[in-house]
Amino acid sequence: MTATAKSGVEESAAITASAPRATSEWTRRWQRFLRNWLAVISLAFILVVSVVALASPIIAPYGYATIHAGQELLPSFSDGFVMGTDPLGRDIFSRLIYSIRTALFIAIAAELISLSVAFVIGLVAGYKGGKYDQILMAATDVMFAFPGYLFAVLLVAVMGRSTWAIILALSIASWVGQSRLLRAQIMRLKTMEYVEAGRSMGAGGWTLVMRYMVPNALGPVLVTVSFGIPANMLAESGLAILGLGVAPPTPSLGSMIIDGYAYVLNHPHLIAWPTIIFIAIMVAFTFIGDGVRDAFDVDET
Amino acid sequence: MKIVMFVGRRLVRLVLCLFAVSVLTFGLLQLAPGDFAGIQAAGGGNVSLAQQATSETRSELGDRYGAEVPMWEQYTTFMTGAVTGDLGPSYRYPHRTVEEIIASAFPISAALAVTATLVAVGVALPIGILAAVRRRTILDTGTMFVATIGNGLPNYLAGLVLVLIFGVALGVLPLYGWQGPEHMVLPTLALAIAPIGVLARYVRSSMLENLRQEYVVTARAKGGRESAVLIGHVLRNSLMPLVTVVGPMFASLATGTIFVEQIFGIPGLGHYFTQAAVSRDMPLLMGTTLFFAALLMVMNLLVDLSYAAVDPRVRADLGLASEGRRRQDVADGDGTGDTGQPVSAEGTATRGAI
Repeated sequence: MTATAKSGVEESAAITASAPRATSEWTRRWQRFLRNWLAVISLAFILVVSVVALASPIIAPYGYATIHAGQELLPSFSDGFVMGTDPLGRDIFSRLIYSIRTALFIAIAAELISLSVAFVIGLVAGYKGGKYDQILMAATDVMFAFPGYLFAVLLVAVMGRSTWAIILALSIASWVGQSRLLRAQIMRLKTMEYVEAGRSMGAGGWTLVMRYMVPNALGPVLVTVSFGIPANMLAESGLAILGLGVAPPTPSLGSMIIDGYAYVLNHPHLIAWPTIIFIAIMVAFTFIGDGVRDAFDVDET
Repeated sequence: MKIVMFVGRRLVRLVLCLFAVSVLTFGLLQLAPGDFAGIQAAGGGNVSLAQQATSETRSELGDRYGAEVPMWEQYTTFMTGAVTGDLGPSYRYPHRTVEEIIASAFPISAALAVTATLVAVGVALPIGILAAVRRRTILDTGTMFVATIGNGLPNYLAGLVLVLIFGVALGVLPLYGWQGPEHMVLPTLALAIAPIGVLARYVRSSMLENLRQEYVVTARAKGGRESAVLIGHVLRNSLMPLVTVVGPMFASLATGTIFVEQIFGIPGLGHYFTQAAVSRDMPLLMGTTLFFAALLMVMNLLVDLSYAAVDPRVRADLGLASEGRRRQDVADGDGTGDTGQPVSAEGTATRGAI
């Protein structure tokens, strides 16, 4: 009886092993990620925050620009205003969750754009090499001499403070690193024997890149995404701190912080809430990023 | 001889990069609607600039960047000025020239970056050593946990936490302005927190790696005291690679003070860059941008040279420096620069600064 069960287990193991390699690889990575409880808790926290942020029009007790005359600068835990109100009498909790929604939207959109650009450029430069590669590397040199956020500031200053201008500025500031990463991955994979085998069996350039190389190049890219989204959120609120964020009255974590700073001595709750929540989000992303990196086993320490 | 060739080649590349940055910046600024003098006069930037500017500076600005001056001439005027150190008046601060502003503001940012780097090294070294020596104790996991969190904290959020604790709750430190040494404490700490996290982890892993080496066994077998072994042998060998981390870190700090300057109201270079961007002060924006870019590139060059100074393998590679870098890119495929290899300064520049 036991022997049959055992052979059954072996059989299923054999089936798993013969399944397409990509699937089992991803399952293994996912299981490795799940073993890191800190990362799992962080992921759950970020998911909750994202849902709250997405549903902010439903969850927020008031609109982000609703002014309650006569109820300015209420302290935290006041009646009807969990986190208190700002100098204009606007509910801080409502503004906070709307801010997170804006930040997440901008961060993810910018990440997707820079990722798409990086894919095209990285794959072409890595696979074709030669002239394409040299042009990319020259552009890279220039962009690396230009700290990303300086460039973002410059772009927003020129294009104005619209949401899309900020998204564009953030994605332009970060495509270079990802392009270089993808290029390096493709160059490494290009010389692998299994790719050579694919080529000798008549696979064309497109198939070679998309079917043979991209799946194996994705790991490190995913790691940069898990660090890139929080970096974009930071950059978005950083721009707002400099006075170049989304135009008011749309709230942003950065503008809540810099506007509240003038009142910090007597009304510290104005910056305490956005700071605490923002730090919690950043720390959670750090743990998720570490978890993803460990899951992909790209770091040896 | 090889070193001269290497530096020469890098300098040529540096000048070409600066040229590209200047064209890019200038071109971008031309895309903004209207001519700059016009925007300023219309109050697009800050209030009453037109009244503030004396007729003299206004005519000088008009001569340099007025609507009737062709675009290429504006560019060459600016670039000639950049080389000869005559950038003309700023729009936002009509009574001061751009080079004057940079000369007065840069030392402030530099002082912040230098003290922050010193504080970071001074704090991270003992923490890292302690964590390595007391490995797998609560002291190790605890400090490394805090270091991880600190590492993920951007400088302005760290600064706000410090403000809430030391400025508001305890009320012992000033929150705003730049008058005395007490005004330096919070901004410096804010800048130092993330580097402390990075450095402490790096010192720890570097120490652990060296503790595994056979020479440690030899040193212990010779009967030296444990502290002598640790400080005289292990620490000395662990510190060498540290140079390669501190260099790029300082480079990113030197250009990364911008948010801290904004929050704490410090009149450093980042503050003027921000003001220039917000008020579309073209000469000041061009000037500060080029200065930042040049600063970063020179620092990167110095960092690469310092690699060569501490690592004979890099020195041997010098002739092929750019090829060497590309090969290193392939090896460091995760893009996080966390391989324990000398990390290229350029790798930290994209995101590390924020």
